[in-house]
Amino acid sequence: MGKHASAKVTTVTVTPRQALWLELMAFYTHEAWLLDERKFKEWLDLFTDDVLYFMPRRKNVLRREAHREVTPLGDLSLIEDDRRYLEMRVARLETGMAWGEDPPSRTRHLIGNLVAEPLSKGEVKAKTAFLVYRSHLETDHQLLAGSREDVLRRVNGAWKIAKRTVLLDANVLLDKNLSIFL
Amino acid sequence: MGATQKYSIIDPATGKIDRGIFSDQAVYDQEMEKIFGRAWLMIGHESLVPKVNDFFHTYMGEDPVILTRDGQGRLHALLNMCRHRGNRVVRCDDGNATRFMCTYHGWTYGSDGKLEHVAGMSEAYYDALDKPSLGLVQARVDTYAGIVFATWAEDAPSLEAFLGDARWYLDTVFNRRDGGMQALGPMKWLEPVNWKTMVDNCSDNYHVPTTHLSSARVQTRYLGRPPLSHKDQFESPNKHVFVNGHSLTFREAPDNTPRYVHGISKDTFPLFQAYHEATLPEVERRLGAFRARHVQLGNHSIFPNGVLGFRLALPRGPLQTEFWHFVLLEKDAPEALKHAIRIGSQANNGAAGLFEQDDVDNWRQVTAASKSRLGRRISQDLSMGLGHAGAHPEYPGVVSERYISENNQRLFYQRWEEFMNAESWADIPIAPITARFEGTATLHG
Repeated sequence: MGKHASAKVTTVTVTPRQALWLELMAFYTHEAWLLDERKFKEWLDLFTDDVLYFMPRRKNVLRREAHREVTPLGDLSLIEDDRRYLEMRVARLETGMAWGEDPPSRTRHLIGNLVAEPLSKGEVKAKTAFLVYRSHLETDHQLLAGSREDVLRRVNGAWKIAKRTVLLDANVLLDKNLSIFL
Repeated sequence: MGATQKYSIIDPATGKIDRGIFSDQAVYDQEMEKIFGRAWLMIGHESLVPKVNDFFHTYMGEDPVILTRDGQGRLHALLNMCRHRGNRVVRCDDGNATRFMCTYHGWTYGSDGKLEHVAGMSEAYYDALDKPSLGLVQARVDTYAGIVFATWAEDAPSLEAFLGDARWYLDTVFNRRDGGMQALGPMKWLEPVNWKTMVDNCSDNYHVPTTHLSSARVQTRYLGRPPLSHKDQFESPNKHVFVNGHSLTFREAPDNTPRYVHGISKDTFPLFQAYHEATLPEVERRLGAFRARHVQLGNHSIFPNGVLGFRLALPRGPLQTEFWHFVLLEKDAPEALKHAIRIGSQANNGAAGLFEQDDVDNWRQVTAASKSRLGRRISQDLSMGLGHAGAHPEYPGVVSERYISENNQRLFYQRWEEFMNAESWADIPIAPITARFEGTATLHG
């Protein structure tokens, strides 16, 4: 028996909201590692079959017109994928001929500032901020900043993303393309 | 200014071109003057400024320009530069405003560009400021089927003459319906690419089976789209046509099928076919039966920097281009069809586009090769299809025998030389309009 044997066991009580926060933070950390380790098929498993993956445009407008800053669904967006398009993006990488990502980018997804809020029918709204670093080929590199607003739902006991809205903090995207996942 | 430098960058007999034009700052500076300072440039679409006092911020080359619709409904292209110190008077991407106030000293302009108010006109200027001569600098503006063009050149020919017979082909996409088109966008991003490579690529169907094979494969598997193999491309009856400076590709379509665009899949094809058939009588009335039934515009570029239909390739130095991707939809098309085209367009072209993702590293390395000490001394080879293009009995312009050809690229670089070597517009040849424009469609819709 070592010295730890005498250590006092402490139980911490968390509220249901705190428990949800911890659970979702672990979910997003797991997701970030899947992306950075290029396990894209496992990453796809985090989405529901009816997922909408949406990345609107971000415009320069005056403060008093802030409601026009983010383009709505139905306007031209950077990405508006259903499950099939997300699967095509991943399947493309596996052909060995997706030259924009072959050789692949090196990415680092840092996800934080989680705010989670239960919705009706067991769904949860989760907002996070991200900093994503991308390094590609020899010296190409880019830091992408923005937020994600997800609607999550439990499917067979596991959280799945039913809707993701990625809001980039850029007006003119400074990268040569958007071939990585956010 | 001294005598105009004469460029000889392409050998028409061999298709060899000098790579220096993709990276030299001095060449780029001349391009801004001789090409972007002269040509009619696409700057926007009427549907982006539908109401009086609407504005849309755009560029002519690197010059920031406000496209406005004034209180009387007239369009203006105004240099976004206060006449006092030069600050921009608009910092928003778009909006609605009767006046633009400079945030430096408060000079205020109307949506027609007139200088309306100067703080301290009496107290500071002794009423000696000549306000009428100090409006925002205006470009000439005209429209083609809702697309807004502008030019800084007083001596430029009319937009109608500038487009010339290219319009005979362009009409088959942009001028089909009585109700006109609406523009969505733009999506904006910055690529480390010389602007000319994008234009070149618009007539390059040779790259598709190599560059885009991964995307073509998955779209065949998931959406039932046809494979884009080399065999398909080599056997294609489509053609290049270079017409009055503009690089177009087109398909002879005697089979009465809709134009093949991103968004067509096995599932959506019936929707496109039904729409094509339902609108054909109207299109025949507008364009005549031959164009309505037989001619389908493919990828194309309107000189100098309009690409991929209605997209702007805005030069940002010799080594960078800012892309503005729009989607144009026929206003009166069914919502389901508009949806399919929008989803197909943004999923395939654009910064995150399945197809376009794979283009950029090719293009940027073409640009980068022109900076290399040794690489820049070795010319590009654009010899494909030399001697296999010419006049055609049915189609205006210089028509290639085959779809896979570099005829348009050779002629584009020769057009580039014509602009760069000209003292003024008087030295730039414009082909007379000879095509028969059957139907009711006009320049303005």
